[in-house]
Amino acid sequence: MDELGKIYQLIVPVGGVNLAFNLNVILMTWIVILLLIVFGYLSARHRSLLPGPMQAMGELFVTQFYTLTEDALGEKLAKTYGPLICALFMFLLLSNWIGIIPHLSEPTMDLNTPLSLGLMGFVLAHYAGIRAKGVKNYIRAYFEPIFFMMPLNLIGEIAKVVSISFRLFGNIMGGSIIILVVSYLTYSLVLPPFLNAFFGLFIGTIQAFVFTMLTIVYIAVQVE
Amino acid sequence: MAIEGIDLIKAAAYLGAGVAMGLGAIGPGVGEGMVGAKACEAIGRNPQQAALLTRTMLVGQAVSESTGIYSLVIALLLLFVV
Repeated sequence: MDELGKIYQLIVPVGGVNLAFNLNVILMTWIVILLLIVFGYLSARHRSLLPGPMQAMGELFVTQFYTLTEDALGEKLAKTYGPLICALFMFLLLSNWIGIIPHLSEPTMDLNTPLSLGLMGFVLAHYAGIRAKGVKNYIRAYFEPIFFMMPLNLIGEIAKVVSISFRLFGNIMGGSIIILVVSYLTYSLVLPPFLNAFFGLFIGTIQAFVFTMLTIVYIAVQVE
Repeated sequence: MAIEGIDLIKAAAYLGAGVAMGLGAIGPGVGEGMVGAKACEAIGRNPQQAALLTRTMLVGQAVSESTGIYSLVIALLLLFVV
């Protein structure tokens, strides 16, 4: 129970401002990125018409998410945003699953990771909207029903970022806290593997999928 | 041992965390149940579309869950920050 809420930080003072680096999160993020690079290398090394197991898995990811993006955005935009959506899902899936290995923790357990990914989706959606509609139509969309609805529309856009990132953070953080508390209460005897399977594998998969779907939906709303 | 102001603040924060989590879990529970029930009805009426309906149901449930997650975040703030 002692490790609950404890964060390992490296604090670097730069010009009177203290920059705090969460070492655990950075290390875990790099592990996830390296595993993804290894997976990509293995799945694309021997490309053949008859796919091996790694290539079949890679093709499964790519085709599924390309089809998903194409359904929502159309063929032309799917060529641009399909790879990003696929990579986002794979990163989030591996981030959520890596917590089931002992001594490793999910990088999404820290608010910084979901918030930066959510901000990335937000900026991307608005960039796509400006490119698709032009600046004039983009600004006009804020005054949509009547002109004094503008503050509400602005708050709605900002609430999207907050909700998408806090949803991922809250689910993963809440799951890991429940696992920690139940392990402490039962002396890690019977329940924790099942809880790990439920919160790590099941909830992790669903939340990664939901985050990806919502990013697609936000882009589609801005583009239309 | 006298009860000081800081103890009262701690007690109020813990109480508030429990109340926030308990009340905040009502809405998502009802909402997710309704989404699941409607999805069951739709799959029973149209079993070919089960994959699409399950996907849509999961996304809808995760979206309706977000108010519960907000109350969880508030409870965590009350527990660890106050």
